[in-house]
Amino acid sequence: MTDLAFLSITEAARLIATRQLSPVELTEAYLTRIEALDHLLDSFVTLTAERARAEAKAAEATIMASGPISRMHGIPYCLKDIYETAGIRTTAMSKLLADNVPTRDSFCQEKLVAAGGVLLGKNATWEFAHGGPSWDILFPPARNPWNRAYSPAGSSSGSATAVAAGFAPATLGSDTGGSIRGPAAACGISGLKPTYGLVSRRGVIPNCFSHDHAGPLAWTSEDLAILMQIISGHDPEDPGSANVPVPDFTAALTGDVKGIVIGVPVSWLEEDDPPKPATKAGFDAALEVFRGLGCSVRPVKLPPLRQFDDAKKTIAVAELFTIHAKDLRSRPEMFGASLRYRIIAGGLVRAEEYINAMRMRTDLARAMQGVMETVDVVMLPTSEPAGKLEPVPPSSLFTRSSFTTPFNVGGNPALSVCCGFAENGMPFSLQIAGQLFDDATVLRVGDAYEKATPWRNQRPFLAVTETA
Amino acid sequence: MTNTPSHDEIVLLARQAGLDLPPEYLSELIEAYRNVRRMIDRIPTGRPRGDEPAHVFVPATFMPSGE
Repeated sequence: MTDLAFLSITEAARLIATRQLSPVELTEAYLTRIEALDHLLDSFVTLTAERARAEAKAAEATIMASGPISRMHGIPYCLKDIYETAGIRTTAMSKLLADNVPTRDSFCQEKLVAAGGVLLGKNATWEFAHGGPSWDILFPPARNPWNRAYSPAGSSSGSATAVAAGFAPATLGSDTGGSIRGPAAACGISGLKPTYGLVSRRGVIPNCFSHDHAGPLAWTSEDLAILMQIISGHDPEDPGSANVPVPDFTAALTGDVKGIVIGVPVSWLEEDDPPKPATKAGFDAALEVFRGLGCSVRPVKLPPLRQFDDAKKTIAVAELFTIHAKDLRSRPEMFGASLRYRIIAGGLVRAEEYINAMRMRTDLARAMQGVMETVDVVMLPTSEPAGKLEPVPPSSLFTRSSFTTPFNVGGNPALSVCCGFAENGMPFSLQIAGQLFDDATVLRVGDAYEKATPWRNQRPFLAVTETA
Repeated sequence: MTNTPSHDEIVLLARQAGLDLPPEYLSELIEAYRNVRRMIDRIPTGRPRGDEPAHVFVPATFMPSGE
């Protein structure tokens, strides 16, 4: 058997179902690895080892008696520390929530518990999933397992780090402008921002409620499909939740993408924010793989990238201020400098300006759906490969554009997968966005790409002898 | 509001927002707001009176589960 810590959910579930692997053994493998190596990466802020051992033991007993109840039964996972967990501290990395112990699980955590998953702990994030990286908040920022001097991006940074490092096969993050896809890209794993409304945000500490999405990160798109099957579904307690049928995500992974039409937003890549030559070359090589699989590629024209950023960030700064107004007025020193800078000006945004930004968002979302009707998926790089982990001027939030934010504005499903490695060893990333509520096609395309390329065979190396 | 609001204009807006900040945070706010202002100034205005509202109330959202 291969190293247990590097089993995918798919592989581990098969071994557990056939009694070749014990959930207790698998859980111990992850706990041992986390305890030996996470001091190098700071991907966990809370480890729930005793709970995990108890859940694994219970799962093992049930599986031995009557078989697994889901493909996550007996499988360890972790959660970004903005997912509320009953009886377990949930901090959002903020000094304001240092002692916050929720009394109820988030919707997604309830689903994972019901599926028989084994909670290993809570992952590092940027403060309130928005400001970072920061060194003046409750915990240090996570580091990139491909090179500890590099950033895992944010804000689901600890989540992506944990999966890439072999600390857990599954985790949940959140994505308001790219916070699942960016860290997935930086850490060379797979991350899905589902269609807005497909996964409930109930019990997920908000960033900006009009653009927040909850979603999974894992080593492969196939594993994301397993997680999506468990966490998707209508929740009347989330006003944004959609009451739509949940497809069979795993059954959709046929491996066949022949005939798929891929749109490439050429103006974004050539005029608005051209990627670096190596990143563009990696993207072009990925398109060639899809042509070889029988897909066609055509240019599409979307509104300028900056318009998406202007609308989303104007809305976000106003919503964030509203959420944190009381604390910003009474104890602003409790926020990290990065987050405070990024939200405090939201108090000065007038209602007319917020509403005009919302109107612009509606126009942009319509334009996005108009283009999406002409293709099956849109592809582009998720981001540049990760840079060094170092303080970033907080003003950059307002001045730099992003390839991920447009799909938050549109609400479309968007997946990031690894598409190779740069000369310095850091992963390249491919973003695959789809039509609203067609997350299954997005996962099918990502899965076909991962199975047609060698990138899932390469893992970061962490030596136990290294010191922090 | 002008494209580059003055220090005093921003202080006034901050007071109206209930932000009575110490000097070190006030300078932070002034820089941040100027960045936000640049984004706001790029957002189209002057839309028709009958333009669809930005927020649409969807009663079905609040129906009990299963209905």
